[in-house]
Amino acid sequence: MMKFDVVIIGGGLAGMTAATELQKSGVRCAVVSEGLSLHNPSTREFKAAGGTLLNGDSVTGGEFEEGRLASVRTAKLGDVTLEAETFILATGKYFSKGIVADMDRVYEPLFGLDVQYDSDRSTWFDPSFAAPQRFLEFGVEVRDGKAVKDGEVIRNLYPIGEVVYGISSAQGDTTGQIRQSALDAVQAIRRI
Amino acid sequence: MQERNISSNNFEQCQKCSLCETVCPVMKNNPDYAGPKRSGPDGERYRLKNGIFFDDSLKYCLNCKRCEVACPSGVRIADLIQQARIDFSHKAPKLRDIMLASTDQMGPVAGAFAPIVNFTLGLSPVKGVLDFALGIDHRRTLPKYSSETFVHWFKKNAASKQASFRKQVSYFHGCYANYNYPQLGKDFVAVMNAFGFGVQLLENERCCGVAKIANGMIPAATRDAHANMEAFRKSVAQGLDIVTVSTTCTMTLMEEYPELLKVDNSDVKDHISLVEQFLYKAIASGAVKPVWKEGWKARAAYHCPCHQERLGLGIFTVELLKMIPGMQLTELDSNCCGIAGTYGFKKENFKVSQMIGKALFDDIAAAAPEFVACECETCKWQIEMSTGVPVKNPVSILAEALDLEKTSELNRA
Repeated sequence: MMKFDVVIIGGGLAGMTAATELQKSGVRCAVVSEGLSLHNPSTREFKAAGGTLLNGDSVTGGEFEEGRLASVRTAKLGDVTLEAETFILATGKYFSKGIVADMDRVYEPLFGLDVQYDSDRSTWFDPSFAAPQRFLEFGVEVRDGKAVKDGEVIRNLYPIGEVVYGISSAQGDTTGQIRQSALDAVQAIRRI
Repeated sequence: MQERNISSNNFEQCQKCSLCETVCPVMKNNPDYAGPKRSGPDGERYRLKNGIFFDDSLKYCLNCKRCEVACPSGVRIADLIQQARIDFSHKAPKLRDIMLASTDQMGPVAGAFAPIVNFTLGLSPVKGVLDFALGIDHRRTLPKYSSETFVHWFKKNAASKQASFRKQVSYFHGCYANYNYPQLGKDFVAVMNAFGFGVQLLENERCCGVAKIANGMIPAATRDAHANMEAFRKSVAQGLDIVTVSTTCTMTLMEEYPELLKVDNSDVKDHISLVEQFLYKAIASGAVKPVWKEGWKARAAYHCPCHQERLGLGIFTVELLKMIPGMQLTELDSNCCGIAGTYGFKKENFKVSQMIGKALFDDIAAAAPEFVACECETCKWQIEMSTGVPVKNPVSILAEALDLEKTSELNRA
C-alpha cells in the first residue's frame, strides 16, 4: 500500500493542472498517467515539486467504503494499492476511455459512476457531420464538485476536465473550462 | 451486438491517432524508419495478406516499447514489429550480431582472458579492426569483462553463509552482473543479507535471451527461455520467490517469453519481482527495517530505463531512493538513452543512437548530479560514455547508504 494526500487519476491537461497546483502548495500527490504524459513542462514542474508520477500505469478499480473512495488498484503495481484522503478523476472522454459508449448506454468504466446521457439513442448524434454532436456533452454527473454513484455522492472523489458532463473540447476550444474545473477542485480540496 | 474479434497483440484497436509516433525515439532521428504506427499495426494489415509486404526497415526499431506505453488503445506495437521480424526476416544473423547477442557464450571466454581482452578492446587499432571487420562502431566504449564471474565469487565467498537466514530468495543475476560487473551482484547479496534474506542461485540460470531476440536468433532464445522457466519452477516449488536486478531481463522474462517466444510463464510470473519492488514492499509493510548511515549524502538524478517504463515499476525505485535521508533526487524527463542493448554497438546505428540520447544527456548536464541512478546496465554504458557522469544501480546506492551492520542486527530476529 502507498499512501498519499491526493491521488489524481489521469495525467492530461486537467489532471496535471490540479496535481501541480496541489503539490506546489505542499499536498502530497500521485498522478497515475496512462501512456507517456505529453505535458512534459507540467510533469517536470510536478516532479520538481516532489510529486509522484506513475507513467504508463492505469487505474483498474477501487474500494469504496461509507460513501468515500478508500483506495485504487493499478494495472502494474499488483497487490500494492494507492490510498488517499481525496481522489481526483481526470480520465477524459471517449478517446481515453474516461467514459465508454455501448450500443444502448454510456458508462464510466472505472468505478461505475453515474453518467448523464440521453436515454433515447436517436438524440445522441446528428447525422450532419458539422452539426453540434450531443454525445460529446455526455459525462459523469457532478454534484457540489463531487462524483455520484448509484445516486449517492462520493464525498472524496472530484471529477474534473472532459470526463465531466458538459465539458467537451471537440466542439471548440474548452481549454479554459478544463483548467477552471481543475482549479475549482484544487480550491475545494485546499479548504478541507 | 457486434462480435469482437481482437488479436492478442490488439492491433485491430489502433485508431491511427499517431501518439506512438510522438514518443518514438528512432523516428525523430532516422528518416529511413517509417515509425511504430506504419511498421506495426498499419504494416500488419498488409503482412497478413502477404509476407512480401514485410519491410526490412523494421530492423531500425529499438524495441524500447515507448510506443506501447503511449498507446491509448493497448496495442502491442513493438511486439507486432518484433513478431514480423521473426516471421518474415529470413536473413541469417551476421557473425557480429551472433557475437553481440551470445552474452553467456562470449562471457566465459572473454572473462577467462579479462585483463588481455579489456586492454585489447580499449586500443584504437583493435577498435578499427572491429569496426572494419565486424561493424562494431569504433567510437563506442566497449564493456569491460571481469576476470572473476559473480557466480564464482558467490560460491567461494558467500554461498555457505546463506543457509543461516530464515527467509530465502532466488537471485536471477543476469549476464551483466555475472560477466561484466560482479560488484552489482555482491551489492545485491550484501543488501539482501542485511535485511535478513538468504540468497540462492537458480539452477543453471541462462541468459534471459533479449539480445538473441533482437538479433533474430529465436531458436536459441527459446531454448534459454525454457531452461530458465524450468529453473524458476523449481525455485517456486521450494517456496523461493525470484528477485531480479536488470529491468530488461525482467521485461523479457515477464513479457517477451509469452508474447514473442510463446513460452508460457503464467505459473511463475507472480513470483518474480525486481529488487526495488521487493524491498519497497518489504520496508513499507514493516517486514524489514533499514538503518541508514549517519551523515551519508548524495545528489543524484534518476533515469527511468525504457523497459522499466514498460514494466511500470519505476515508482518503487523512486520511492525507495526517496526513503534515504541524505538523498537529494532529481527525476529526469522520460527519454530513451539511445543504446537499446546491442543496437547502439552496431556501426550503422551509432550516429542515430547518440542523436536519440541527446535530450537525456542535456537533461543530465543541466541537473549536474554527482551520479545518475539507473537500473539498466546498457543505459549505464551509454550515459557514462556520453556524459562522463557515473551511473549507479539503485542496489549499489542502497549498499552505500545503508548501515549494513546495524541493519542486519535489527533484522536478524
